[in-house]
Amino acid sequence: MRQILHVDLDAFFCSVEELRNPDLRGKAFVVGGSPEGRGVVTSASYPARKFGIRSAMPVSRALRLHPDLIIVSSSHGDYSEYSSEVMAFLRGAVPAMQQMSIDEAFLDVSDDPRGGKPAASEMQAEIMERFRLPTSWGVATNKLVAKIATEVGKPNGLLVVPPGQEAAFLAPLPVSMIWGVGPKTSKRFAAYGIRTIADLARMSEARLSQLFGARGIDLASRAKGLDGRPVEELHDRRSVSAERTFPKDVDSIQELRRHLLHLSERVGTRVRKAGVAGSTVRVKLRWPDFSTFTRQVRLSQPTDQDGEIYAAALKLFIDNWRPGKAVRLLGIGLADLGPPMRQLELFDRSWEQDHKLLRAVDRIREKYGRRALRRAGSMRQRPLEDAE
Amino acid sequence: MRVSVLQENLARGLATVARAVSPRSTLPVLANILVATEDGRLRLSATNLELGITCWVGAKVQDEGATTVPARTFVDLVNTLPPDTVEMELTTRTQTLNLRSGTFNNNIKCIDAQEFPPMPATEAEGAIELNLEDLREMISQVTFAASSDDARPVLTGVLIEIQGGSMTMAAADGFRLSVRKAELANGVDRSVKVIIPAKALSELARIAGDDEETIQMILPSDRSQAIFRGRDFELVSQLIDGTFPDYQGIIPTSHTNRTILPTASFLHACKAADIFARESAHSARLNITPGDGQSPGTVEVTATAAETGSNEITVDATIEGEPIEIAFNVRFLVDVLSVVDSSSVALETSGPASPGVIKPVGRDDFLHVVMPMHLGR
Repeated sequence: MRQILHVDLDAFFCSVEELRNPDLRGKAFVVGGSPEGRGVVTSASYPARKFGIRSAMPVSRALRLHPDLIIVSSSHGDYSEYSSEVMAFLRGAVPAMQQMSIDEAFLDVSDDPRGGKPAASEMQAEIMERFRLPTSWGVATNKLVAKIATEVGKPNGLLVVPPGQEAAFLAPLPVSMIWGVGPKTSKRFAAYGIRTIADLARMSEARLSQLFGARGIDLASRAKGLDGRPVEELHDRRSVSAERTFPKDVDSIQELRRHLLHLSERVGTRVRKAGVAGSTVRVKLRWPDFSTFTRQVRLSQPTDQDGEIYAAALKLFIDNWRPGKAVRLLGIGLADLGPPMRQLELFDRSWEQDHKLLRAVDRIREKYGRRALRRAGSMRQRPLEDAE
Repeated sequence: MRVSVLQENLARGLATVARAVSPRSTLPVLANILVATEDGRLRLSATNLELGITCWVGAKVQDEGATTVPARTFVDLVNTLPPDTVEMELTTRTQTLNLRSGTFNNNIKCIDAQEFPPMPATEAEGAIELNLEDLREMISQVTFAASSDDARPVLTGVLIEIQGGSMTMAAADGFRLSVRKAELANGVDRSVKVIIPAKALSELARIAGDDEETIQMILPSDRSQAIFRGRDFELVSQLIDGTFPDYQGIIPTSHTNRTILPTASFLHACKAADIFARESAHSARLNITPGDGQSPGTVEVTATAAETGSNEITVDATIEGEPIEIAFNVRFLVDVLSVVDSSSVALETSGPASPGVIKPVGRDDFLHVVMPMHLGR
């Protein structure tokens, strides 16, 4: 039987701020952008949450909820450093680990002789002692239940769901706690009287698939606490790719370049989010007759930068394309993924500048959405609108 | 041509020139070694058009003459001959070289010496005298930092600058830079700035005999070459065209941390770290922690390999400035620490993304700049 742990760094950004400035401890504060602009709350301390303040809420609204709220700007880069230290510790402490985001990971301790709960409790204590950061833990037989156990036990929690108790544990919880159930789906569920996970589990598969299609079956098995997905490090994923089939075949180089740039950005954003870099760039091309081929090139160093992916992909494309030839599908992949290590250069410091720039771009997009900031080169040219 | 030469001398001469042979050239004669009588000695030459090496060995010349002998056959054969006199006789009409030693009798098919690229004689005028011991040390401290990637040819070379009686060698592969200065014994009043392939200089260090004290460097004004001449050898290298990057501009002028370490222990720690670091692009972390009055400062060298494991080696150090954690390609550190001959080295840094400068303590003629590695986000 599997023993899966889920760990979450409690109010991570706030916890880091408390380490930087211990005066914040016990106070209602948020990490986020400025209230004058359209800043949103990145993370809210537990005292702030008592006022109903949540992450992703506009800072201006949070201030209305609690006018004495302290706002800490999140411009420095300490979070990722703390995160990578904790994640490195976890990676070294267990046989299999999958980092989900800056403050969250799954661990597989099925082979650990200590057992799930003692293992979790030792790591929780050690993270507190070594990094002074509080964590919450969920222990279960699969990822889905472990993650929900963490949610329920927060903060500073350690909640064990014994084998066989998965469905019973989930039953009373709101359906929105299930992975893949966002606000929209919740609303639709509510319309059919589904509020708790138990309500969902009781629905027949036939009815669910009628209402929600294939996804409905998936949700039903989740509601019963079933989840067979393995814990696998993203590094083991062989590649990240993005592709696009054009509604109409494309033969103009300007347009193809624009798509290549856009695909490079999508791949770059995804590898950066996963905290990996790749050293092989692939280009996939499909012609109007459906014949398809891929070409790849190995870079001298792994990259997670849109610009480097684009440069390699564009060269591959140009080398394999005859001007005027129509393209049906264009794809870019980054393979040989591993830790994002980079040997810095003596005479060319542009990598470091781009590194900082992309981090800032990623943060802005995380807060305001993917389209908040776009490369001019990836936009379609439109004629200027008439003044009238 | 008829000459007799000691096997030992011939073998040594062939070993000297053999590295310049170009076995896979489109010009078949470049796979051969020129053998010619010259002023009562035997001249051996090989060239790949970029690098040419000539060596003279003592011989008894009965008839003058010249030919070119296929290098591989010639070298392998001479190395198996007994340590005795070797008699060589060329039949000009058939270009067959007969080689005899004791009961060994061999005939080698050769190519006419006329086909061998001419290696023009060089005037010794304007020669710069270099102390061989200094030159050897300079070459060992600099050439390893040159690039082996032909994408940027200037970086595969070593910049040699002579000005005001001193000579500077510099090489950089884009990630690290080595700069070594030396005073010239005989003042040179002109200034020189040339880029010589690092490979040519490594060859020079290899072939210069221990019995020589000085080497002459000649830079002919009428062709883009550098010639290094010893008592019984001459090495001719093409110069690399182009402008060497402004390396002075990237040498940091300040630092926030200066760490002095015993060279041998630091080198030892880096070699140990590389056992694990080699799996992750040779990256190792240096955790530099200043002392607190009671205990000395320490540098912790750590390397982690997902598959193999990890290690952590602590070296005591004298540290001025702030604590710093910085990661390097530990192979680069091993390279530079292996050629520093002072008992301690200083590592100067200003942060995890700033260049590290390594200097021998007590000497100001050498410095090495190495860029760190960026790890993680």
